[in-house]
Amino acid sequence: MDSFRKIDIDVFDEDVLLETELYDPDPREPSQVLDDAKAKAAAVRSSLSKGDIPGALSAVLDNAPYGPNVDDAKTLTLQTLVTILNSTKSSDVSNIVKSLSQDQQDTLMKYIYKGTAMPGWGDVSGSVLLGWHEKLTEAAGIGCIVRTMTDRRIV
Amino acid sequence: MSGPEVHSLSPSPITSHAFNGDRSLLAVSLNSNDVTIYSRQGKEWEVTDTLSEHDKLITSIDWAPNSNRIVTASQDRNAYVWQESQDTLTGKVVWKPTLVLLRVNRAATFVKWSPNEDKFAVATGARAIAICSYDSENNWWVSRHLKKPIRSTVLSVDWHPNNVLLAAGSADMKARVFSAYIKDVDSRPPPSVWGERLPFNTVCGEYSSPSGGWVHAVGFSPSGDVLAFASHDSSISIVYPGGPAIYTIKLNSLPYVTLAWTAEDSLVAAGHDCQPIAFSGSAGGWQLVGTLDDTSSSKSSGGTRGFGGVGSGVGRLNSAAFHTFRQADSRGSGSPTSATGSGGTDTELLTVHQNTITSIRPFSGSADRVAQVSTTGVDGRLVIWNVNNVVELTGKMGALRVQ
Amino acid sequence: MSNTLRPYLAAVRSTLTAALTLENFSSQVVERHNKPEVEVGGSKEVLLNPLTISRNENERVLIESSVNSIRLSIKIKQADEIERILCHKFARFMMQRAESFIVLRRKPVPGYDISFLITNGHTETMLKHKIVDFIIHFMEEVDKEISEMKLSLNARARVVAESYLTAFIS
Repeated sequence: MDSFRKIDIDVFDEDVLLETELYDPDPREPSQVLDDAKAKAAAVRSSLSKGDIPGALSAVLDNAPYGPNVDDAKTLTLQTLVTILNSTKSSDVSNIVKSLSQDQQDTLMKYIYKGTAMPGWGDVSGSVLLGWHEKLTEAAGIGCIVRTMTDRRIV
Repeated sequence: MSGPEVHSLSPSPITSHAFNGDRSLLAVSLNSNDVTIYSRQGKEWEVTDTLSEHDKLITSIDWAPNSNRIVTASQDRNAYVWQESQDTLTGKVVWKPTLVLLRVNRAATFVKWSPNEDKFAVATGARAIAICSYDSENNWWVSRHLKKPIRSTVLSVDWHPNNVLLAAGSADMKARVFSAYIKDVDSRPPPSVWGERLPFNTVCGEYSSPSGGWVHAVGFSPSGDVLAFASHDSSISIVYPGGPAIYTIKLNSLPYVTLAWTAEDSLVAAGHDCQPIAFSGSAGGWQLVGTLDDTSSSKSSGGTRGFGGVGSGVGRLNSAAFHTFRQADSRGSGSPTSATGSGGTDTELLTVHQNTITSIRPFSGSADRVAQVSTTGVDGRLVIWNVNNVVELTGKMGALRVQ
Repeated sequence: MSNTLRPYLAAVRSTLTAALTLENFSSQVVERHNKPEVEVGGSKEVLLNPLTISRNENERVLIESSVNSIRLSIKIKQADEIERILCHKFARFMMQRAESFIVLRRKPVPGYDISFLITNGHTETMLKHKIVDFIIHFMEEVDKEISEMKLSLNARARVVAESYLTAFIS
């Protein structure tokens, strides 16, 4: 087939809707987002050493990085979150997810899906994430999964 | 209080429904190119008429209660206005279609008469809304387009009671309020919370839910001062334009696709979780009240499982046929295996509607005090609910949970 | 059932239930067409974020959803060369008969072994929770089926080898 037939002419339509127009961008600068993520990682380490898992979890889930150009911060946040999830006793999971706010539950669900999309990366463990997924779905319902699908602010 | 009134109209999905003014006639689209008109005969609904003119799926129907005209929108890019008139040959009263000059090149997705019934709005996939009014000189319906700043298919529209403002929800995740003021038809509207000077295509407001999602349904409150919209992120948002804010209620269940205000302080929404849910609130805040579908009361069929609720394990498909064939395949035995249990109970949902509810409309009562609402869904059922029969959802959330 | 299979299937079940919220949606790119948006991909705004659920590196499910259709792709466990061949043959056998399975896609999405395409037409004519049940049941059975086939293949190979080698014993 001639190559001109493969040109996607629809992208030249001025009415075309771009991915970036579907959500409000993060007001913070990428460098600031990374600094925030680093500060949070440190705060989480200290919370974890005290055994305060709900505190650590809500710290990392508030103002999570999203959007383009903040891949480092996203990776760091995921790493921090996976550490928290892995160090939680499975019997506590149910109560912890119930104590989170709805926004935090939504963000946690996004990270769980992000983690399970990359098996074998870092300390990501399929069974731990699936365990959390199950408990979170119980607490927050299917609506939470629907929001993970619709929300364009991808973490 | 009596329970809901259930009518199974057809095995095929009902895309849209509309009643006439005194609720004795019902127009539905049974997922086809025709409109079927039912009339009420005692407790039953009987087919009396079929309106065929469209050549693709009819997406929406609206019936003007006072002027007794039906408008239909279809994926064939057209809309028709149907009017009862006497056939010159037979002398019978028949529905006569008039083509509307929509001037759009994509599907028409939703249609709604304005409160005064002198114009109607057609939502389309051409990133535009056609506002149609009657041109008596030429004896046809002409349209003007609301275009900017719509970026995607418009999924639903609703008129403000002042006959000028129009709310639209679209697939670009926004709910907007436009002015659809047409000079020859409308008198100048009094200033409201939405603005003072309102020439055609003024955008009075643009709202979205924090988690995005296509806006499936929009609705003005009876006074027109409050806007509610349901979006695909399983949330209902209620907008107070003059302040204080937007209230977004995130839900545990599947997204809603349709909503209706039942009073200034309450509304009913329904959708993919198959039951109508009531919400109430005021400028101070909104909350979920409960469901109109009392699933705890025993129903004749007695289904035992809620949607998404799981019985015994993850895989519970009754695979008797599968086993029979495998038996025959691997061991050469042709004897039928004993059927395991009755497969009947787990095909039934707990809710009255067995599939997604696609449209909900006020049925009886005044606009600011609706007593009953009617719903139709993909399961082909028409259900009439008492709005005051709200049952709390708590305790049954277990049934909605996924194991 | 092993202890990670249950949460895995539960996660797939709930995600699939959430994704099966489809409606009739006419194309906004081509007039008078109505096609699965997840396959066309022409309008970004009617697609949802794709979600992956994995049990481990070798077993995962990808769910891509859109306004009127979803695509579910399964990567089936393949531990060795024989399982890889069996899985390929099995999936191929199924997909060549895709029309009898209704929701099966004729070709898998790259990186996966078998794909399903569910449209709003399917959710209108079939019970939604039964479609979910079918997919889950399929996922349960396919592993079992392949390990069973592997066993019978090995048994057959043994029989063949024995009868071949008996010629040299006497």
